[in-house]
Amino acid sequence: MSAISIQSVTKRFPNGFEALKGIDTEIQSGSFTVVLGPSGAGKSTLLRLVNGLETPTTGEVRIGGEAVDGHKLRHIRSKVAMVFQQFNLVDRLSVVTNVLTGRLAHRSWVGSVFYLFRQEDMGIAREALSRVALTDKAWSRADKLSGGQQQRVGIARALAQRPKVILADEPVASLDPVSSEEIMTLLREICDRDGITVVVNLHQVELARRFADRIIGMNSGKIVFDGSPEQMTHSVLHTIYQREGIEDDNSLDMALAYA
Amino acid sequence: MTTASTWRWPTPNGWPPLPLVGGVLALLAGLWLTAPIVEVDFVRLIGSIGRMVAFAGQMFVTPDWEYVPQLLAKMLETIEMTVLGTAIAVVVSLPLGILAANNATPHPVVYRVTRDLLSLMRALPELVWALVFVSAVGLGPLPGVMALAFVTVGFMGKFFAESIEVVDHKAVEGVRAHGAGWLQVRLFAMLPQALPDFVGTVMYILDHNLRAAAILGLVGAGGIGYDLVMSMRLFQYERLLLIALSIYLVVTALDRASDRLRSRIIHGRRA
Amino acid sequence: MNVHDLKSARRQAEPFPPKPRNPAPVWMAATLAILWLIVLDLDISFEALAYGVEDMAEYFGRYGNPDFTNLSRYLELMGITLATALWGTVFALLVAFFLAPLAARNFAPNAVTYRIARETLNFMRAMPDLLLALIFVAALGLGPLPGALALGVHTAGFLGKFFAESLERVDKGVCEGVASTGANFPQMVMYAGWPSIMREALGYVLYILDRNVRMASVLGLVGAGGIGLALHDTLRLFDYGQSAALILVILATILIIDYASAWLRGRLG
Repeated sequence: MSAISIQSVTKRFPNGFEALKGIDTEIQSGSFTVVLGPSGAGKSTLLRLVNGLETPTTGEVRIGGEAVDGHKLRHIRSKVAMVFQQFNLVDRLSVVTNVLTGRLAHRSWVGSVFYLFRQEDMGIAREALSRVALTDKAWSRADKLSGGQQQRVGIARALAQRPKVILADEPVASLDPVSSEEIMTLLREICDRDGITVVVNLHQVELARRFADRIIGMNSGKIVFDGSPEQMTHSVLHTIYQREGIEDDNSLDMALAYA
Repeated sequence: MTTASTWRWPTPNGWPPLPLVGGVLALLAGLWLTAPIVEVDFVRLIGSIGRMVAFAGQMFVTPDWEYVPQLLAKMLETIEMTVLGTAIAVVVSLPLGILAANNATPHPVVYRVTRDLLSLMRALPELVWALVFVSAVGLGPLPGVMALAFVTVGFMGKFFAESIEVVDHKAVEGVRAHGAGWLQVRLFAMLPQALPDFVGTVMYILDHNLRAAAILGLVGAGGIGYDLVMSMRLFQYERLLLIALSIYLVVTALDRASDRLRSRIIHGRRA
Repeated sequence: MNVHDLKSARRQAEPFPPKPRNPAPVWMAATLAILWLIVLDLDISFEALAYGVEDMAEYFGRYGNPDFTNLSRYLELMGITLATALWGTVFALLVAFFLAPLAARNFAPNAVTYRIARETLNFMRAMPDLLLALIFVAALGLGPLPGALALGVHTAGFLGKFFAESLERVDKGVCEGVASTGANFPQMVMYAGWPSIMREALGYVLYILDRNVRMASVLGLVGAGGIGLALHDTLRLFDYGQSAALILVILATILIIDYASAWLRGRLG
């Protein structure tokens, strides 16, 4: 059964830029999918559409059979967690409180506007933090942590939502190689152990090859490749990273030589 | 688990942080203690709603159109007082601002003295100084302009000094490295950098001064305030309506203009 | 600029492009002309001013002997003034707390509430507090309560606008981070909004408290209690000794509060 279904989705921004030019795809439940593509290919827009941070110009996104639209946004988002490139934590709140924001959609606003949480939510937060090995930093302020640690808090927040799907928008683009490895391993482990569907946008071809079940290649708003890591040959990479109007791209060849 | 309750705060012990609790309790205690002094009485407040409505009802009268020419003249006078008072304050505040900026002042003692002088000048509201100046130079717009300029220097000098203190130090060092003198460093490296801030400050203060000028007439220091109080005392609601409306319109217009100008300066979109 | 351009530039120093016209002198001249017209129109006679300044020294000399015989009464009045300012500020804070998120473009649930909240704040700000005090005195009778209400309404407009502008500067990513968890409007405000602007907001509240103490000390002029009325009366009676004492009491209080709030702000910042 497919967790995410994207049906003939296009997205045109108010400034006229067409980020997505007709996307059709299904993402299987419990799979680990990596979306590859050059900057500006529409990878981020695609993920943001799935979480409802953007609305498609035409077409429809469905999560587990339910359409993503304005009325049920809170309900949909409670099932679809998001991990961001810049972590997007609330700097001045403690790590625990940041993780607890993952519970907000499951609770009415009455207690939460006073920062009051149920005992069970605290349990969920503690569990999520131990999953990302940050229990000792629980009471630190979020902005006192290193980049890799902040991203782990971001993942803990996603876990606390008890989601069906985790979307990660270039989760390692601001991190050093060691932290990147940690984060990707963590996401893979979450996918395998909890059966959560994971969709990750990446820039690193090598990481994609090693972690993904399935790779979707995007270029200028269209899907140009869809297959397993083994099927992603050198010529496929060429198609994915091809730049418009440049036939003979030296930089591209050099960049892909070691990929 | 330190608390057995089902609800808890995201803190190690489940209780809100102590400074926060202390602060809120202190504030509540302060409010509770001062309530009788301020005569906060909810019965009276609710009882007055009727009178408020009645008062608002009285405002629905045919405006006294014959009064309009005089209103316009008084409004013009108010605006003129605002502009003149602010302009005088700008001229006085610039040098004082330099003296009161810790990176531009000639001597720490000068800095301290100027800072204290400025805070003395802005300590009392325009209206108090207007009272004093009216007794000194007589009725009319002159004491009003003096009061406005006096208090404005206190604020503007401080704001100018603060904008000078945050200018980029690298540009200052660059100019100094080329052998510029004391005054040259301040004129060519500091003031140009602080200028956008200055313009923002002037707009903000112009806005503030217009409101202040509108009420200076209360003590006979010129402007629309005198008519405002008189029509209030004499229950001339047909005039009061026009006055309140005109104050609202002028203040809002200036508010919008200054907002627009400031955001244009801050975002660097200069025409 | 390509390589070819660089080569030709090296060959000969090109003359400057024509200098853009600098309108500054025109603006300066216009400003000065307007100021001159204003001076003429307001009928400000420099003679009067000169006499005034001459007399001023003598005039201010009369304030030389502050008369502190009624000090306890003045301190009591000052206490009322401070209490008025406190209540006004808390009232403003409450109103602004609820209105500001609605008046911040990135938090407002929809365009209509945004517009309404913005216009409400603008309206509150546009009404001078003394005018409001006059109205509230008419409705509630004399005393500090109408003063506190007037201060509250007027400064709620300011505080709400300041808060809303700070909220609009909250990092977009942080808002999206909280929004992506499915938080609703009140939760967004409490988790992405207020924690991010806490420090700024406290600074604004202190600034408004400071301002309200100054204003509360003149509200007495329109019968809204406090020390202002006493000052007005002693000045009317040409009682310079008592006036001086009153002015000194106000001055001292305001300076103390000034230093206290600067200290507090320094500790928070």
